[in-house]
Amino acid sequence: MKVSSAKVSKESKVHGGHHKNSLHSKRRSHHSILPLQPSDQLDQWSSVTVDMYSNHHQPQTSHTSTSRSSDYSAGGGNNGEPSGTGNKWASRLLKECARAISDKDSSKIHHLLWMLNELASPYGDCDQKLASYFLQALFCKATESGQRCFKTLISVAEKSHSFDSARKLILKFQEVSPWTTFGHVAANGAILEALDGEPKLHIIDISNTLCTQWPTLLEALATRNDDTPHLKLTVVVTANIVSSVMKEISQRMEKFARLMGVPFEFNVISGLNHLGELTKEALGVLEDEAIAVNCIGALRRVAVEERAAVIQMFRSLGPKVVTVVEEEADFSSTRYEFVKCFEECLRFYTCYFEMLEECFTATSNEKLMLERECSRGIVRVLACDDDQDNEGECERRERGSQWSERLKEAFSPVGFSDDVADDVKALLKRYRSGWELAQPHQNETGLYLTWKEEAVVWVSAWKP
Amino acid sequence: MAEESISNGFVMNPVSGSNPPVVAKKKRNLPGTPDPEAEVISLSPKTLMATNRFLCEICGKGFQRDQNLQLHRRGHNLPWKLKQRSSKEVRKRVYVCPEKTCVHHHPSRALGDLTGIKKHFYRKHGEKKWKCEKCSKRYAVQSDWKAHSKTCGTREYKCDCGTLFSRRDSFITHRAFCDALAEETARLNAASSMHSLAAAGNFNYQLMGNPLDTGNGMPQHFSTVFKPISSCNDDAIDQTRRGFSLWMGQASQGQDSIGKSTLTLQEIQQFGSLNPGSIYGDPMVSTSNPPALDYQLNWVFGNKVSSGNAEDHQLTTSTSLPLSNVKENGPQLVSVPSLFSTQHQSHQTPPFSMSATALLQKAAQIGATSTDTSFLGSFGTKCSNSQDGNKYTDLYVSNTPTTTTLGSDLENSANDISTLNQLQMYPAKRRRMQNEDGSGGGGETRDFLGVGVQALCHPSSINGWT
Repeated sequence: MKVSSAKVSKESKVHGGHHKNSLHSKRRSHHSILPLQPSDQLDQWSSVTVDMYSNHHQPQTSHTSTSRSSDYSAGGGNNGEPSGTGNKWASRLLKECARAISDKDSSKIHHLLWMLNELASPYGDCDQKLASYFLQALFCKATESGQRCFKTLISVAEKSHSFDSARKLILKFQEVSPWTTFGHVAANGAILEALDGEPKLHIIDISNTLCTQWPTLLEALATRNDDTPHLKLTVVVTANIVSSVMKEISQRMEKFARLMGVPFEFNVISGLNHLGELTKEALGVLEDEAIAVNCIGALRRVAVEERAAVIQMFRSLGPKVVTVVEEEADFSSTRYEFVKCFEECLRFYTCYFEMLEECFTATSNEKLMLERECSRGIVRVLACDDDQDNEGECERRERGSQWSERLKEAFSPVGFSDDVADDVKALLKRYRSGWELAQPHQNETGLYLTWKEEAVVWVSAWKP
Repeated sequence: MAEESISNGFVMNPVSGSNPPVVAKKKRNLPGTPDPEAEVISLSPKTLMATNRFLCEICGKGFQRDQNLQLHRRGHNLPWKLKQRSSKEVRKRVYVCPEKTCVHHHPSRALGDLTGIKKHFYRKHGEKKWKCEKCSKRYAVQSDWKAHSKTCGTREYKCDCGTLFSRRDSFITHRAFCDALAEETARLNAASSMHSLAAAGNFNYQLMGNPLDTGNGMPQHFSTVFKPISSCNDDAIDQTRRGFSLWMGQASQGQDSIGKSTLTLQEIQQFGSLNPGSIYGDPMVSTSNPPALDYQLNWVFGNKVSSGNAEDHQLTTSTSLPLSNVKENGPQLVSVPSLFSTQHQSHQTPPFSMSATALLQKAAQIGATSTDTSFLGSFGTKCSNSQDGNKYTDLYVSNTPTTTTLGSDLENSANDISTLNQLQMYPAKRRRMQNEDGSGGGGETRDFLGVGVQALCHPSSINGWT
């Protein structure tokens, strides 16, 4: 078992009969119904009663009274349910809890949430971290407090982000992992090839990578051949980025472009409720410009029903190339089936967290911050209703094949040239092992980044 | 090579007008500036690409190089008479590129070496068949590729902030966001807002070739540029004020502070080349080489900024054109100085009544007398003048480990800015050629720190075409 008492920040005792006693005692004390107080911190979870469906108090069923250790051991499971994949306790507990929520089995929910809370910690190992962040989402789902929690998480994030911290975070991440740089290199390659020879370039950038994609593109434009084109970069800001951060970024970009000797113009568009609202005029698209639309982690933030409209909007801008980079996960087709969605979500974030664990040092602050960033997405996908107006915060990822279906409505795919593929391979070589470039299956387009043979990021290029 | 009048009916423009003085070291000519008396050979692409052009008359064996053929011929044990090559003097041969659109197609820009023209042809007009595995850079000439592979990945990039990178892409991205870069902006902004500040405190001189008085703010950019990066902002602002006061001095304010100057013309000359930091006598300077260079770059761009917003497209485009000619080593420093130099010429002696600024002006004029046509000459003379050259060796060398030509060349470089600028003007055009048939592959050593430094030292390296 991975949990060691030192790591668990809760006050308990982890093993054996002792637990049982406390379990019993807690149940007894919770017999009186207390109103739900969702504003309480999860840390105090054990003292908060959750009485969701009725004040039914079930006697200890056999599965809860058997010793705890059996729940943790590999292949354990006298809970009468088939255990999930792998022998990781977090995964099993979490999935069980999800099922319980879906089944509305309140005592089981209660029990599992409590157990998870005992074991989870955002400062522990992967299992503990996953348990912590997913527990939060499960709790919100169970108590129908997802929306509120989400908004709180957003405002906390906004307050704690500064340009310096955001910059440090993303640059460090890019140094240790090709998760984002993979998409950048491939997209830049496609853009350069598609816009080759054009004197006036206009790139419309809707990304979550804070313009870290562009320095290398600027350098390439400056050095590639004799005539350096004029580049206009219009960045469409998605919700979370604070305006002061964008201001700093714009200054640096302008300065860097000067240094590179690339004639450059930088614009920021913010305050959009919905990407579909963008127009040619709003973006400042001019007739003589060659347009490229670059979306990194952007499409998934669009509400599912509006995605087709946004893609049509891109088409209306008349771009020469559209580059799309998305993480390979499907939270979209399963959005009405909680357990399936949950399992997919868990799978993806398990992969992500494990990747972070391996790429960063154990005590890395950046790793911690990146993990925290996930909490919003997890809560949003699992515990918030899509109906609620969340302003570009949807976070329902789709797989490359699904995006392709959508994009094919307005565009046709462009393959990546061998040169670009070579560039990507050279990039991956510069990182530690485990990363590979994978070609798509037949009839599919784009390129995949794989981590330990699991596809994690997808990049594609499209033309009208 | 003596550059004399055209002969043999070949159309050639005199490359350099005046005769340079004789120097002990035999200088290589610039590429594509052949001896007027040479015979111009034009080979077809097919012939160029053919290997084994040199045939042994005895056994018919083909060789890629003439030297190899000669070696081979020795093995035939020829009697003495036949051993000699044909007695008629072999005229010096130069070759033109068969590609019509190429600069080297014209005889006046012919290249002197058969191997050179072959490499040029492949590099410029050939297919890039050789590819580096590590960084996927492509080369048309195998030797270029080999040379690159040896150093690829071994190079380290150092940012102004001191961080080292082994990967170029992460270096580039870091640099774009680095605070060291941003400090420039902050300081420039600060400077421009301090227009009416009186001089304060110590007064540092900057060796400006021509203290320009554009009035609208260029001076302050120069002044800020030449400060070494200081880690504390107060210091920076302080220096900004100080620096600025130099220019304010021109406008008749702060005369007292200028009077504090202790430099004589002699000392200014001794300071040597474009090494603004050192003038401050600031111990920080020797450690802050990159800032000096970086400032160099920004100084140049300070021009742009000053003429009303970075969005001044006219200015932008005008500088981008020469910039774009420069492929390697970052365009900036090489050609934008031409902008500066233009202004240098357009701004005739500003009305300096102050002794200090007059000194500076004089220093500029000393440099200004050596125009580009004879820069090689002035170069030679300046070489001997540099007394403190050694001081600067490590300033630049430490920065870019792989550019080994730096140290010795730089200390010999021009002693003041104007000359240097003119030198830089010249190579603005030459650079492409240089890189084409100069060092293998040309561009792989391009990087941001290297930019400033290499650009600086190239004028000097014209002497020995490294």
